[in-house]
Amino acid sequence: MQTKPDLTSDIGEILLTEDEIQAKVAELGARISDDYAGKRLTLVSVLKGSLPFMADLMRAISIPVRIDLMEVSSYGGTTTESSGLVRILKDLSASIAGEDVLIVEDIIDTGLTLNYLIRYLRGKNPATLRICTLLDKPARRLVDIPVDYTGFTIPDQFVVGYGLDYGEIYRNLRFVGVLRREVYASGAEG
Amino acid sequence: MTDQTRPVSPAFAHASEAEMARILDFYGIAWEYEPHTFPILWNLDGDVVESFSPDFYLAELDLYLEMTTLRQKLVRKKNRKLRRLRELYPDVRIKLFYARDFRALMLKYGKLALADALTGTAGQAAPPDDLPSEHIAEPEPAAAPALEADLEAEPASSATMRRTASRRRRRRKAAAAAGAPTHPPDRPGNE
Repeated sequence: MQTKPDLTSDIGEILLTEDEIQAKVAELGARISDDYAGKRLTLVSVLKGSLPFMADLMRAISIPVRIDLMEVSSYGGTTTESSGLVRILKDLSASIAGEDVLIVEDIIDTGLTLNYLIRYLRGKNPATLRICTLLDKPARRLVDIPVDYTGFTIPDQFVVGYGLDYGEIYRNLRFVGVLRREVYASGAEG
Repeated sequence: MTDQTRPVSPAFAHASEAEMARILDFYGIAWEYEPHTFPILWNLDGDVVESFSPDFYLAELDLYLEMTTLRQKLVRKKNRKLRRLRELYPDVRIKLFYARDFRALMLKYGKLALADALTGTAGQAAPPDDLPSEHIAEPEPAAAPALEADLEAEPASSATMRRTASRRRRRRKAAAAAGAPTHPPDRPGNE
């Protein structure tokens, strides 16, 4: 009988449990609901990592919200070799001009992608543009970006789960964990 | 915005710097390679004897980046230079990018194998004759500094360094009394 691969065995340490994440998401949802009461809020999720966070956060917000999705190419991806420039792989499906917009991110580390997104979205003339991230890894920051809503500030470790991946794997874990060094070290050798 | 008019890439001292330049280009962050040199040590005659040229300047972020993916000995030297720079130029924002930072960045972009190839001496370009001073291995000071930050700098006898510090203090006092701008000196090319 074939053994099923166990994703959790690749995790060295669980940094945030499912319960901790859900409690924080509820807290963020309540804060956002208060801050945007009476306003017309659009949540913009940045694929793919923020998908679980977006799904939970939007349901933790009690005011009416619109949602939209964006995806940008990442450095080192197969689509980047020819142009050498970041590309919008999926753009917004509706105008955000005059809208209150909240970018929903899974993690901010260098701030490079978010910096690009902010400049891009500002060009679409929203009334306000704010940022909500589940995880903040300030030790890696290159571009200082003011973050309006932060779930957890985490140490400088490579984390996966709850949307975060390594090689497109581990996104479906319900918790956030530190990936064992052997997992990516062996990948580097190959 | 990225400077699309940049004619050719500069001659990077290390392959990791070239990779960082590509990352910055990718995300539309304009950069300059070693555009400014900061004097950090003067001799008894007031001549600059040591300076520091951070690898990158990101103008729109007003941030300098210094890559230190080299040998540990050089990392110590850069750390010392960075401390000196921060003492003399407290308004200059600079981030030191260690080998572990570079590896983490490459891991994030799924290019860890490349990081291993670019990190350390393997990633160094053949040094040209006019390589900036911070890229050249120099001996560390033999003894721990005792007096002030000046003594952390280039190797010299303790007596010489104390004389230098004392003379510079006197010069600063005199310049201050005369109402002249003193220390730190102007940022070259950055006004």
